[in-house]
Amino acid sequence: MAEVRAEMVANVWQVVASEGDSVAEGDTLVILESMKMEIPVLVEDPGTLTKLAVAEGDVVQEGDLIAVIE
Amino acid sequence: MSAGLRATVRATVTEADTAQAMGSGDVPVLGTPRLLALAEAACCAAVAPHLALGLTSVGTSAALEHRQASPLGAEIVVEAELTEVDGGRLVFGFIARVADTSDDIVIGAGTLERVVVNRTRFLARAAAPASRPA
Repeated sequence: MAEVRAEMVANVWQVVASEGDSVAEGDTLVILESMKMEIPVLVEDPGTLTKLAVAEGDVVQEGDLIAVIE
Repeated sequence: MSAGLRATVRATVTEADTAQAMGSGDVPVLGTPRLLALAEAACCAAVAPHLALGLTSVGTSAALEHRQASPLGAEIVVEAELTEVDGGRLVFGFIARVADTSDDIVIGAGTLERVVVNRTRFLARAAAPASRPA
């Protein structure tokens, strides 16, 4: 199981993937926005997206859970 | 794009540039926001020719010293230099001086940061903040 966590304080701009999706390395899970920049959060460990912990418009703090991939 | 890019902007202080006119103070001398705008313009000019089509830069951070007042009619020159490139983050140093004098009279100086963004996507995000919490 791999937990994907936020590396910075950011707004969740777009949620690209959905729970249940099969995801491959390099796929975009969500797009964050911080300091006016778009920051895609990419899959590092392929698997099934079992939990998506954020929604568009959420604010995430550094270390907050974004998704779980199993 | 790499550190070392430079550009200069020049301006004459007019009524519209004063703190009084800008609402940032009540004296008729160059307003600090105007100095900042000139510095940002110099930063933009330094990197704009080096950005791919569709990309632009937007300001994210500013540290500015405004050391000396510039009266109406004063000619000033602001020079910016790109000092650091960290992915899409650009760091600039700038210095503003009285123009056309052999004396090195510094009006202001500081550090600005900008980020490189896709113009269309940036504007789309800016126009749709509805889903964002207050």
